[in-house]
Amino acid sequence: MTRTKIDRRRFLKVLGLGGAGVALAGCDLPSYATLEEGEEQIFSYLAPEEYVIPGIGVWYASTCLQCPAACATHSRVREGHALKLEGNPTAPLNKGKLCQMGQAGLQNHYNPDRITRPRIAGKDVTWPQALAAIKQKSGANLAWVTGTISGHQRVLLETHLKASGGGQHYVLETVHAKSWEAACTDLIGVAEPALHFNKAQAIVSFGADFLGTWKSPVHYMTQYGEFRSTPRGVLTVIEPAMTLSGANADHWVAARPGSLASVALGVAHVLTAEHHVSTAGLPDGGAAAITAMDAPQVQLLAGVDAQAIKKIATTLMSNHPSLVIADGDYDDCAAAMLLNLMLGNVGATLTPGVDLAPSRLASKGGSSKDLAIFANAAGAGNIDIAFITGCNPLFTAPNGLNMKQALGKVGLSVAVAMFEDETVAACDVVLPLASALEDWGSHAPPSGALLGEIHLQQPLMEKLYPDVMGLGDVLLGLAQDAGAEGLDQFEDYYGYLRTAISAMIGSEIEADWNNVLQAGQIAAPIMERTFTTAKPITIKTPTVNPGALTLVTTARQGLYDGRHANLPWLQEAPDQISKAVWDSWAELHPGTAAKLGVKDGDYVTIQSNTGTITTRVFTYRGVHPDAICVPMGRGHTNYGRYATDNGVNPLSILDVSIDPRTGELDTTSTHVEVRPTGDNRHLARLMDTDSQHGRKLVATITADQFRRNQGGA
Amino acid sequence: MVPARPKRRPFPRIRTIMTVGVIGALIVLGGQILDRELQGGESVMSETGPRVPGAVFPTDQFAGKDVPQPINFSHKIHAGDLAINCLYCHTYARRSKVAGIPPTSKCMGCHTIVATADERPEIAKLTTMWENGQSPAWNKVNDVPDFVHFTHERHLQRFLFDNPDMDVKDSSEVCAMCHGDMVEVGVAIKMRPLTMGFCNDCHEENDGPSECTRCHK
Ligand code: SF4
Repeated sequence: MTRTKIDRRRFLKVLGLGGAGVALAGCDLPSYATLEEGEEQIFSYLAPEEYVIPGIGVWYASTCLQCPAACATHSRVREGHALKLEGNPTAPLNKGKLCQMGQAGLQNHYNPDRITRPRIAGKDVTWPQALAAIKQKSGANLAWVTGTISGHQRVLLETHLKASGGGQHYVLETVHAKSWEAACTDLIGVAEPALHFNKAQAIVSFGADFLGTWKSPVHYMTQYGEFRSTPRGVLTVIEPAMTLSGANADHWVAARPGSLASVALGVAHVLTAEHHVSTAGLPDGGAAAITAMDAPQVQLLAGVDAQAIKKIATTLMSNHPSLVIADGDYDDCAAAMLLNLMLGNVGATLTPGVDLAPSRLASKGGSSKDLAIFANAAGAGNIDIAFITGCNPLFTAPNGLNMKQALGKVGLSVAVAMFEDETVAACDVVLPLASALEDWGSHAPPSGALLGEIHLQQPLMEKLYPDVMGLGDVLLGLAQDAGAEGLDQFEDYYGYLRTAISAMIGSEIEADWNNVLQAGQIAAPIMERTFTTAKPITIKTPTVNPGALTLVTTARQGLYDGRHANLPWLQEAPDQISKAVWDSWAELHPGTAAKLGVKDGDYVTIQSNTGTITTRVFTYRGVHPDAICVPMGRGHTNYGRYATDNGVNPLSILDVSIDPRTGELDTTSTHVEVRPTGDNRHLARLMDTDSQHGRKLVATITADQFRRNQGGA
Repeated sequence: MVPARPKRRPFPRIRTIMTVGVIGALIVLGGQILDRELQGGESVMSETGPRVPGAVFPTDQFAGKDVPQPINFSHKIHAGDLAINCLYCHTYARRSKVAGIPPTSKCMGCHTIVATADERPEIAKLTTMWENGQSPAWNKVNDVPDFVHFTHERHLQRFLFDNPDMDVKDSSEVCAMCHGDMVEVGVAIKMRPLTMGFCNDCHEENDGPSECTRCHK
């Protein structure tokens, strides 16, 4: 081998010294060569506004609408522009915290793909033209299709429906906890009990990603912080594929998709058999299900061994009180609730919580049940006019629901939207919606996280586009047009909201209204709930198909159900588990990957009964060997420049299987065939390796040492 | 067979370092020469009489280019001849990092009474904008890069309000430290280099903070 003139080592040395020389020299370069004179423009105010000092930010209170949790925000506004969002420190719900999805609310507002004009059949029109098209259809079979909605927007929406002679309100959410609510209703008589993670010494979660996307994640995160401080609580998570909560767990257990109920019952079995916990207070059907679920059964159904089950039981026995939560189908949630009943958690870490006395202000949460019902109703031609806002059924519906054809059969589909997405593009009329930072509103957190406050939303800056309209204004206008009583006096939604809030606080004085806006929240009248005794239940255990791969479509903190795929901050924020950015991937257990003959970066087709998606493999031990996990959120075909044609949408290939007890889509029963395509391309991940290569960037100790030192399970 | 690793020749340190050093020195020298030419004057920090008592007054010059403005506003007439205090119009300078351009309402406060639209064509332009609800789009003359955190408030505090020997009515002297004698020019031009070297020199002479993070946040 001959030596080249400059080898790598020498090259780097010269580069380093040269760089240092240039850097030193640069200290005295005429740096104003880079400064701008006359390049930027500066606008003065026409008339100075009160409180506004250029260069000094003022924080205004409002509400985050990036997910149904409705956290209270503070926004820094400078020179008439919202620059930063944070949590409102005075809000008991989120205590000054805001998640990354909330932070990215700014990009929703400043997004270059916003719809700025009304449209009919894809062509820009004026508001009067758009409203005239809608008016022609008024009075017929009407439907509102929304995401979670609460506060005075909900009141106006229901007023509009009533004034139009009835009609349906479908509330769609892909990420929901309806099975949990159904189980809670049956077992304790309250659908959404208040959960107190901070009062628990041990938390056992069966698939509920309470730190990421479940119900009110920021609220729970603040409680989790307390739970983890001294004495440090123990977190156990059992799920088919690791979530953010799972990644934080002291003890993480992989269970076969759809089998969480058997694990929960297995733990209950150990509690009764080995720790002599009584099942006396359980409803009919509960004790029998527990007795039947011995360790071999759990191993067979869930693929979880006896040791893991025993360990969970020991943790629960040695840490009182505990809290058991679940996200899955009805059986999973009911089995988890049995544990809460057996361990005496009901009343301690689960309390009844409160309801808003003006019940129409409460958060009306969505589900996949409504998605299926809406698809059927529309497909049968039973809807003459559908107003669609805050949801994207064409993206979130499985192919089997034939949503596109169903929507085509709606007489007139009207989207009230900020962005063109798959659904909006398929609608006849599009009304441009103001962003959350430009609009008025009142929002109640989901009732399980409700502490008695409702949060106020106020515009933080002028509308970026003159033709966009707030949801409240659209609703008020439609309700007035439909002849709703008592609304004529209001010129706009601001007037309506101010009157309504003034009535709630019992004052019409300007200063009081300003105080409410400054606080961003008001204490609403509430009603205490009470638990009732459990109804008899039946818990079904899954049929096992060992070796068959089941598709798991988890939601991740970030792109959520796909609504945030058009926000570059969230596309580039590494996924909590795979650290991948800007593309989809399929998580496979290394053993399963080996059996399939695939490795990291290999493209595979994932085929269900209703469709096929093709994406890259990411091997990871945090997945059950019988699961293939493709997080939802990507795979848009029409959602602006950042989301379109980026990744794949696993929701589309889910089988349509409906849980008869809840009406919800069963998302853990889609078996898929996985085949390599032969292509391979490196998956872009922020941290490409899990090894520190001996550099001790982060100090580590073994799990055993940690458990011994930190008192973990 | 894996070839044996050849023995490394000793790294020619001296030659390389000297070459890099000479290149560096040339860049520094070139920079200095260019600096002076662009500045159009001597780069010295000197005290030229008690303009701002208790402070070393920078005198670096910068021959700024003419920056066209939507309205030919004359600093000489307002701040020079009429001796209106700088802080009357740039009212935010004492309270914020930016000095701010006065709101049009402030201009119109005087110009509906004196030197009105009927008398002055430039005021007629401003009046039309005011009536149409438009703000003039001024072109920025003095600017520092986005990675520099400069605050007017702190500087005015140090040299004007906390300076026992300064009278607030003489604020233009303090402004002149960084902006030159605006009271003598018509439409604003840049008169000081506002480079890091300029800032540093003044901070050294006047015992200003020297930590990097004071200005580079
Ligand atoms: S949890 Fe939801 S409402 Fe709360 S900050 Fe995050 S996105 Fe916003």
